[in-house]
Amino acid sequence: MRMLISVVLFSTFVTLVSTVLQLYLDYRRDIDVIENHFDEIDRGSLGVIATSLWNVDIDQLQTILDGLLRLPDMQALEVTETGEYTSNLSVKAGSKQKKAALFRDYPIFYTSEGVARRIGTLHAEATFSGVYQRLIDAAVVILVSQAIKIFLVALFIVLIFYQMVGRHLSTISQWLSRYDLTEQRPVLALPGKPRTPPDELDGLVFSLNDMTNRLLGAYRALTDANAQMERDIVARFHAEREVVRLNAILEQRVKQRTFELEAANEELAAFAYSVSHDLRAPLRRIEGFGQILVQEHAEHLDEQAVHYLDRMCAGAKDMADMIDSFLKLSRSTRGELAIETLDLSAMAAETVHRLREKTPDREIDVVIEPGLTVEGDRRLLGVVLENLFENAWKYTRKAAHPSITFGADQQDGKVRFHLRDNGTGFDMAHAKRLFSPFVRLHRPEDFEGTGVGLATVQRIIVRHGGRVWADAQVGVGATFYFTCWEKGTNDGQQ
Amino acid sequence: MGSNKVLLVEDNSDDVELMLHAFKSGRIANDVDVVRDGESALDYLMRRGSFAGRDKSEQPALILLDLKLPGIDGLEVLRQIRANPDTKRIPVAILTTSDDEADIIRGYDLGVNSYIRKPVGFTAFTDMVEKLGLYWLVVNIAAPS
Repeated sequence: MRMLISVVLFSTFVTLVSTVLQLYLDYRRDIDVIENHFDEIDRGSLGVIATSLWNVDIDQLQTILDGLLRLPDMQALEVTETGEYTSNLSVKAGSKQKKAALFRDYPIFYTSEGVARRIGTLHAEATFSGVYQRLIDAAVVILVSQAIKIFLVALFIVLIFYQMVGRHLSTISQWLSRYDLTEQRPVLALPGKPRTPPDELDGLVFSLNDMTNRLLGAYRALTDANAQMERDIVARFHAEREVVRLNAILEQRVKQRTFELEAANEELAAFAYSVSHDLRAPLRRIEGFGQILVQEHAEHLDEQAVHYLDRMCAGAKDMADMIDSFLKLSRSTRGELAIETLDLSAMAAETVHRLREKTPDREIDVVIEPGLTVEGDRRLLGVVLENLFENAWKYTRKAAHPSITFGADQQDGKVRFHLRDNGTGFDMAHAKRLFSPFVRLHRPEDFEGTGVGLATVQRIIVRHGGRVWADAQVGVGATFYFTCWEKGTNDGQQ
Repeated sequence: MGSNKVLLVEDNSDDVELMLHAFKSGRIANDVDVVRDGESALDYLMRRGSFAGRDKSEQPALILLDLKLPGIDGLEVLRQIRANPDTKRIPVAILTTSDDEADIIRGYDLGVNSYIRKPVGFTAFTDMVEKLGLYWLVVNIAAPS
């Protein structure tokens, strides 16, 4: 509509300008026509008028003037006599206006006897009213016809424009306004026959389709990415919830286990306490009364009865030893570690000294590498050395030249202690069971023992962040290795 | 003046019998008074309850104290002995089957004079009782009463 108005306004403006120009040209032409009439009067009629005036033929003059008055636009004509013989003769045709639009005064000369004398003046007046009337008529005709033409042209332009551009734009606009990335839409196509060669609209449509394709591609990529992200988020959310849940379960479990462990520890402590008090006491009685019988009432007993009593007392003692070992094992895993730098060489020497005092009849060649130190709990590592040396002492009993060496070497940058004997050794097939409590690899008739010593050693070494293992050969000997703080910590925080 | 009696605080009659036998075997002639629980031990020492009429001069020269006692346990008995001005200087030896570290530490913290673990072998036990009697009743000089 705006375009229509623009077209109309512009056309109107052009029409007005051209009309004005046309009118102006018409006006000039009319003026020229009038001037021509004036010229014609000059050329054609002035002679006759001069003659008539000379002759004072007033009728003639009147006739001429009337005739001239019939010329188009001629309004008034007047001949006035001038000169020496002025009689103020004046002949008029038509009526003068106050404001003459166009006039011309012709001097009237009469030539007699070769002398041209001015005898009068012809005053001719033309009116513009006719000119104006024609101009107005022409203007009306021009304006009306132009208006109709403009309207028709504008209408035609609008129609053409709509046909060629507007409806396509409208189609594109509707298509665009309905365009939705989320649903599949038909490709944008203009109505009507396809244009060859393609014009700007086809270019626009192509570009739009291309753009929507790219948009769609981008949208799909975005949607995919979003979906992926959503899945990721959901997965992560689930995972986090699962983690929280598992953490809660774990925490609950840890609490439960800690509680159970504490309860078990307490029970174990109570049990150990009870064992040390209540289980040993009856053994003391069995052994005590048995000894009294053997020592003080032997005369009432035969040899067999004394033997039985001996075995009874020995059994009680064995059981007491077992209980002591068990208590030692139990205590090796309880209580805080008091870590200090220990002179293992000196501790080993003390242990050997005690063993020599206990068994003065044994002659064993003992070599202890000097200067061995370790960070550890004096009491517990003392138990370790005691157990290992006692074992070596025990199992070299049948060796011809028993010898024990205690030393250390470096393995992977860590100190590895070893205690080697040339005793009975054992079958490596059973090496794994060696450190289990109450497991023995020898018959009690061959070598006494409770089967708790090495279990105790292992527990203590583990508490010192180390490992203990053995290498042995039956009849050749055994070597026990142990390390401490393999992970590099020695703060005793287990 | 204190007597040269020994007070044995022991709940199990078999153990009492074995101990008395060991005293005899160890040739310790001192009188032995036996109480069977912590309450009686305190009554005895503080001369109250069924022991109200006991002479103050009859305080024992040595108390042999078991730890596991019905009612008031041995360590509590020890605490009260040490808390009472009349009994705080009497030598007390804990005689028990346990070598529980916590008990040993508590015992010394409460001022016990000796902590002895009764060995399972009767011969060793007799030796031990003999040495104990010799030391605390003969060698050792008690605080003047």
